[in-house]
Amino acid sequence: MFNFRKTVAGLAIATGMSAITATSAFAQEKYDIYLSMSYIGNDWQAEAANMVKALASHSNYAERINLQVQVAGPNAQRQIQQINAMVQAGADAIVVYPISPTALNNVVKNACDKGVTIIAYDGEISEPCAYNVTIDQLEAGRVTAEWLVEKMGGQGDVVMITGVPGTSVDAARTAAAKEVFAQHDGINVVGEAVGMWSQAVARTEMSKILATRDWDSINGLWMQVGCFTANAMQLEAGAAAENLLPCAGEGSNGGRIQMLPADTEVEGANGPYTPMGAPRISYASPPYSGALALKLAVDVLDGKKVPDVTTLPLPIVTSETILLCKTGSWEEQKAGCNAFLPSLVSNPGWFASIFSQELPEVGLNAALVGQPEP
Amino acid sequence: MSNPEIQMPAPAARKSWIWRELGHGRPVVMTFAVLIVLLGLTSAISPYPLSYFDISFMASGGATTSLAAMGQTLVILSGGFDLSAGAVVSLVNAVLASQMDSTDFDASVPLWTAIGVAVGMSVGAFNGFFIGFLRLQPIVVTLATMFIVQGLTLLVLDKPGGFISPSIGAVYMGDAIPNVLPTSIVLIGAVILLWLWLKRTPFGLALYAVGSDPEAATATGLRTNWIIFFTYVLAGGLYGLAGVFVSAQTGSGDPLIGNSLLLPTFAAVVIGGTRLGGGKGGLVGTVFGAYILMVVVNILLSLNVSAYYSTIAESAVLILAVLAGSMSKDSPLAHKLRGAREYLAARRKGTLVSQRATADNRLRFAAHSKASEHPAPGFWIRNGVMLRYTLPAFACLLIVLVVTQMVLGNVFTSFRYWDALLVLSSFLAILALGQGAVILTGGLDLSVPWMIGLSGILVAGIVHGSNGALIFAIPVVLIVSVAIGTLNGLGVVALGLSPIVVTLAMNGLLQGAALIYSNGTPDGFAAPALRWMMTGEIAGITPIIPALAVFVIGAVLLLGRTAFGRRLYAIGNSEIAARLSGVNTGKTLIGVYIMSAVCAALVGILLTGFSGQASLGMGDDYLLPSIAVVVVGGALITGGRGHYIGMFGGALLLTAMQTLLAGTTLPFAFRSVFFGLVILAAVIALREKRTT
Repeated sequence: MFNFRKTVAGLAIATGMSAITATSAFAQEKYDIYLSMSYIGNDWQAEAANMVKALASHSNYAERINLQVQVAGPNAQRQIQQINAMVQAGADAIVVYPISPTALNNVVKNACDKGVTIIAYDGEISEPCAYNVTIDQLEAGRVTAEWLVEKMGGQGDVVMITGVPGTSVDAARTAAAKEVFAQHDGINVVGEAVGMWSQAVARTEMSKILATRDWDSINGLWMQVGCFTANAMQLEAGAAAENLLPCAGEGSNGGRIQMLPADTEVEGANGPYTPMGAPRISYASPPYSGALALKLAVDVLDGKKVPDVTTLPLPIVTSETILLCKTGSWEEQKAGCNAFLPSLVSNPGWFASIFSQELPEVGLNAALVGQPEP
Repeated sequence: MSNPEIQMPAPAARKSWIWRELGHGRPVVMTFAVLIVLLGLTSAISPYPLSYFDISFMASGGATTSLAAMGQTLVILSGGFDLSAGAVVSLVNAVLASQMDSTDFDASVPLWTAIGVAVGMSVGAFNGFFIGFLRLQPIVVTLATMFIVQGLTLLVLDKPGGFISPSIGAVYMGDAIPNVLPTSIVLIGAVILLWLWLKRTPFGLALYAVGSDPEAATATGLRTNWIIFFTYVLAGGLYGLAGVFVSAQTGSGDPLIGNSLLLPTFAAVVIGGTRLGGGKGGLVGTVFGAYILMVVVNILLSLNVSAYYSTIAESAVLILAVLAGSMSKDSPLAHKLRGAREYLAARRKGTLVSQRATADNRLRFAAHSKASEHPAPGFWIRNGVMLRYTLPAFACLLIVLVVTQMVLGNVFTSFRYWDALLVLSSFLAILALGQGAVILTGGLDLSVPWMIGLSGILVAGIVHGSNGALIFAIPVVLIVSVAIGTLNGLGVVALGLSPIVVTLAMNGLLQGAALIYSNGTPDGFAAPALRWMMTGEIAGITPIIPALAVFVIGAVLLLGRTAFGRRLYAIGNSEIAARLSGVNTGKTLIGVYIMSAVCAALVGILLTGFSGQASLGMGDDYLLPSIAVVVVGGALITGGRGHYIGMFGGALLLTAMQTLLAGTTLPFAFRSVFFGLVILAAVIALREKRTT
């Protein structure tokens, strides 16, 4: 990549001109901002990337920033390399979805030392010079477990489907939820399987648990991802929609549509992707955190004060607060809707927690196709 | 890399000594040339001249992969295969990060390096014991070790964190000579020097001998079991060193840090010119290979290649680098072209075998020998070997079933358990036929994960929840898979590349294709008929189960009772013998890869029906299990031995194990250890008795 500003600045020094003149001459120059993502190819990552791109192309930002996106895959080594290469290429700020909260510390510190702003979204970077934008994962585990205990009347057997073992997010959510269950003598965790944050894995694991156990012998489900699938499985097994088990779990649009009262008319409903009044609490790490990180990165570069850690409000939706959106515009979501028509969002695994008070630039179209609000 | 030569017949050979050495070193020279070209390209497209800092950063960036890949090279030279490499790197990182005193900023570098290497060596000794002394197959032992080590790692450190003393980072990330030589280069250089010395020792010679021909090595009196044992110990030590290095690089612990290193180490070994299967190659080429992989990433970054294309670009580099290293007049491709010319010439002259008269040319007494003079062999003689290698999987299955009944109940009293077991096993059972057939010919199909993923995405994307569309969606997907399988087969047969290289590269290509097709988020649904197949019921039975029964019978007949099946075994036992016996080995091999791709595509379709949708990466969890069930079912990874019934038993065993573990509340770490131990137990039961 040819970096015009740096080259001109270099020439200016070389020819004895005042570097200050050069800088002021190019004061309107765009910020070079890089996005270092982890793996692509899951809905959450794709939505987060779309929202970042949408924000960057919004008229508030398009003239101000130059955004380049790179994907590191699941390999922390490669992300280290990428971040370094971005620093070398003259980044002003790097927005990172960190593959590991710890492995990047050294390269991030090195970047900070060179004056590059590093801001992480969703996952955290433990190096103190990095800015972090996340939800409180302990709170997520605790709140959802407490809801489930209350729904079950403090009595009964719970099956837990956890996330990816060995990650901080899974460790925090699972530990917090188990702590809540342990405080209630009437609650027993009778099965626990690793769900890898995937509906497909949740189904195989639930099938394994159900090989030796009846739906009737389970009273509640706590799943990081998988409530949508679990509800579908109960219907396949012959359960009536009124008798679905309470499920604490992910914020996918499929799950949200299932939470709508069974008589709701929705366009594009298909199979289990249909309103059924499922008793649910739905939460998620919101995919808008990448876009917010970009916004904050620009704020930092503009010299505004940004806190080191931005804790996002936990987006919680329960069967009581579920509301269908008609168009999915930011304005409409601001008024409180939180589920999208299957005819607009064809993929039930798609994450529905895309509303942020701070980001009027991005609505449903941003998350779907990377197009900002007008 | 030059092979150590045992003895050279003096004068005549001396003239060509230099040529021969050059010939042996050619892959390394080629790899080095590729690396230099890529480095040149990097500096050409970089906006700044490369500074010492860039060089130093690149050197340390590729060091972890280099060190781990050097360990992998040792194992591969000995004729083995080590799947535990990445897991050991994680374990060492976790041990160091959790055990260091977080107030001690000056922890001793030699001491902690020694601890890391020692941890790696002990895992190596575990592998070496089972592979060297109990003569178990490396791929399964190291697979079991991988699960066990991953479990142990999570017990040591359950989430990212811990502390690595800055003194470790200061040394390994620092400079040996400031602004001239980074420590990482010195470290790799030291390992290479050690290797160059080791190669000239009796142990080094023996390592190549064992890798080239284990039986001949044993026959000449080498103590192969000790040599293999020490090879794994040394390899473990290198993984340990890689673990120390990654700890220095990251300054803290992450229990998953090494898991993504496994495939790059194989790629580095192969690009470096080491032959999979053993006996040829060396560590120097591997280091260049590892750095090539790293530089490619930098180049893609500088060129701002879309992430969807990055796996495609990397696969292309893998194939090109390997081809560049193997191009010569002795290369398989040249050989094939010569063969084709000779074939045409023979055909014109009418001397081709198939053009001869088909009259019965057997000698008179042979043609008329009476069957009654040789009584038909009894049941045990005909089926003894098959049972010997098939029964262990079923015996272990029985044990797991009994334990499940005792712990969870409902196994022998309800059909629901069996229904779930068979439905969940169906994926692995189908994959076992494809992967099993490839393994019977001595290959390995690593393109399974994204063949599954791409097929699932295609089928969901085409049908969009409509039954009618299935009629053309399924044929479309199967035709795509036949095309992919043909390409795999051609890569192996016509280009003469190792199956591992071809299918690994194909996996990357398919991943790119799936990303591009789905634009990052696959949509669409499985057709209701497909969902019904996997989750509905007829007479209390899930519909896939009768279909699975038909599939199993068909697979047994295909491998056991057809000419195609017999050709597979013939090729697996000796491809040359098979070819000289008139088997069209090329056509058969291509057929095998097509079959594997079709099986993977079927699994992709069925998984989509099972889940209702397709997702990217849905096949990732099926690669290692597909190999494990084949080997646990009694197949020999080097080919020629195995029976589909055993593989089916392996699929049932693995699924039953997972079902048992899912029904408990054991922590994941223990489950992983336990799973590894059961795989190990199953292969110990398959152990071959010493035949000499």
